[in-house]
Amino acid sequence: MLASMAGCRQESDRVRITVWHQKTGAERDFFNRVVDEYNASNADHYVDPLYKENEEGRNLFIIASVGGQGPDLIFGPADNVSIFALTESIQPVTNVLEPGYLETFSERGTVTWRDETWLVADQIGNHLTFVYNKALLPEPPTTVSEMISVLDSITADLDGDGRTDQYGLTWNYSEPFFFVPFLTAYGGGLMDEDGKPTLNTEATISAIRLILEMRDTYKVIPASTDYDTAETLFKEGRSAAIINGPWAWAGYSQVGIDYGLARIPMIEETGRWAAPYISAKGYSVNVNLDQSKVPYARRVLEYLTGPDMQRRMANELATIPVIESVIADSVLMSSELLQASLRQVEVGIPMPTAPQLRQIWDGMRGPYQLIMNGAVSPEEGAQMMQEEVEKRIADTFL
Amino acid sequence: MVTSKNEKAALRIFIALLIGPMVVLVLAVVAYPFFFNVILSLSNMNLFHIRDWEVIGFEQYLAVFAEPRFWEILLKTLIWTLTNVVFHVVIGVMLAVLLNQLFVVGKPAWRVLLILPWALPQYITALTWRGMFNYEYGAINLVLTKYMNLPAVEWLTSPFEAFLAAILTNIWLGFPFMMVIALGGLQSIPAELYEAADADGASAWHKFRHITLPLLRPVMLPAITLGVVWTFNNINVMWLVSNGGEPNDQTHILVSFVYEAAFSAYRFGWAAALSMVIFAILFLFTAVFLNRTKATEAAY
Repeated sequence: MLASMAGCRQESDRVRITVWHQKTGAERDFFNRVVDEYNASNADHYVDPLYKENEEGRNLFIIASVGGQGPDLIFGPADNVSIFALTESIQPVTNVLEPGYLETFSERGTVTWRDETWLVADQIGNHLTFVYNKALLPEPPTTVSEMISVLDSITADLDGDGRTDQYGLTWNYSEPFFFVPFLTAYGGGLMDEDGKPTLNTEATISAIRLILEMRDTYKVIPASTDYDTAETLFKEGRSAAIINGPWAWAGYSQVGIDYGLARIPMIEETGRWAAPYISAKGYSVNVNLDQSKVPYARRVLEYLTGPDMQRRMANELATIPVIESVIADSVLMSSELLQASLRQVEVGIPMPTAPQLRQIWDGMRGPYQLIMNGAVSPEEGAQMMQEEVEKRIADTFL
Repeated sequence: MVTSKNEKAALRIFIALLIGPMVVLVLAVVAYPFFFNVILSLSNMNLFHIRDWEVIGFEQYLAVFAEPRFWEILLKTLIWTLTNVVFHVVIGVMLAVLLNQLFVVGKPAWRVLLILPWALPQYITALTWRGMFNYEYGAINLVLTKYMNLPAVEWLTSPFEAFLAAILTNIWLGFPFMMVIALGGLQSIPAELYEAADADGASAWHKFRHITLPLLRPVMLPAITLGVVWTFNNINVMWLVSNGGEPNDQTHILVSFVYEAAFSAYRFGWAAALSMVIFAILFLFTAVFLNRTKATEAAY
């Protein structure tokens, strides 16, 4: 007890830098470990990390920041930046970092909106990728028809009870973010350059039809799923492949799955690869950061986004670094997983940073799920998505 | 006389010291947020005016009533509240009457078992039920298909079934409260009344109808009032079971609709206006219900 009291006293004497993050699974374990290491080696300040689920973290951060509170730093994807900047919840990271620090970063390593830099990244990616269990699927397919054929041979009712016990592929296909790679493969997108939604298109309809075919005609994916169910199926070896992002990969090796990464297959009829959104993930600075804390916040940021950290992350989590000197490290970058991840990023599409993206995700989710339930046709659903998103964007101004 | 004045002054100070902290607390956690919400409901606070918002009058209230989904969700909220409270009360009173019988063995164990749904944190219960409603792997469909030869139900992907799933979860969660209240009420009914009824040859139904129910009324009516208010505003179960209104925002009740407007669309002014409408509905209900039923009056 005395030791714990002494610990409390020591902590209270140090400057506290609070960080909200949305890292999960193995990425969170890694983050907590490196924060512990940092705290053990700094006598005058320490990092106090707190996990917040992405949506929850974003909402609470805005409210806290508007109220003059909130964590000193917040970690998240690039698409949060415009909403944070619009609500004046964050300040440019250049207010805190040394002028030359960002020069070591690649172009993708920072997020700029309206001519200011609001986020410094520790990785680029956030990209959905085809992850396969090598024990069930030794070679990943490259085209969709090849994929369906291979997955069909894997999908099986192993105990003969009339229920499928092993699927070829699973992913959270009922969530719009996980639909994007197929939408882009048909040449579609969520919005145009002016930020106007572009959902009622042939591309949307074709992409939805493909997923419905995989589910209803070929039955190589589960009849219904969500993120957790998909994860469980893959981790338990009941699905040969999953479409998921870098935040999840290290968790697969933790449960003993020998996995590989590959591009999500190409659609033959368009000749396009399924292209996920890619974005930087990193740290932004609360607009309310106390001036006296700036030197400490700077040291924390430089530690969490610096070359050593990015090298360690690339090694242990297969994340893609954004500092030029780390990217140039050929030994590090020759890792099989990292190379495969980079190949997916090559065909990825930068995630839009316009604030309307929030309304697009929320507005398309409902009609999209109605299509998946068979309540409306893909054509009706695409039109409903467009109308719902337009209404939500208009409502936002009231 | 002087002593008496001093005593009165001391008494006043003593009372003020006792009441003061509570008044400050109520002002801080009830009055201030309430009046701030009233002001927000008259403002244009949204994503684009989160810091520079201003009072614009009753525009947000007009927008709430002009929103077609408001009326649809209000109807769903009324169905949700009525169905839940009816089942909570009926199941709760039935179990309480059963537990109050002399022939029931192991009453303490039964009480603990039946209170468990209420004792568990709501979000754990709601998420567990969500898992059980999974189409392919959920326990409920497994029972339906494997042991009852019935077709699997799309609990979470069809609007009606998803709404039903949330209601079933909340019924399971809510009946223990009514059971505990009813049990307390039953134990305060004098045994002599039943003995006199037995002497008159009254049947079990007559005793329940003419002794138990009227004497349970004073304890049950305030509980029902609370149950209505809690259920009307119970965002946890609806939100977690339906994963935020899925499918297609068809499983909202008014309070989850407010949450979505505020924290997904950042329409704070509109959401505040809708929350004031909810407050008005519940205030009116409580006032009329308590007045009509004379629920706060003594039974004897």
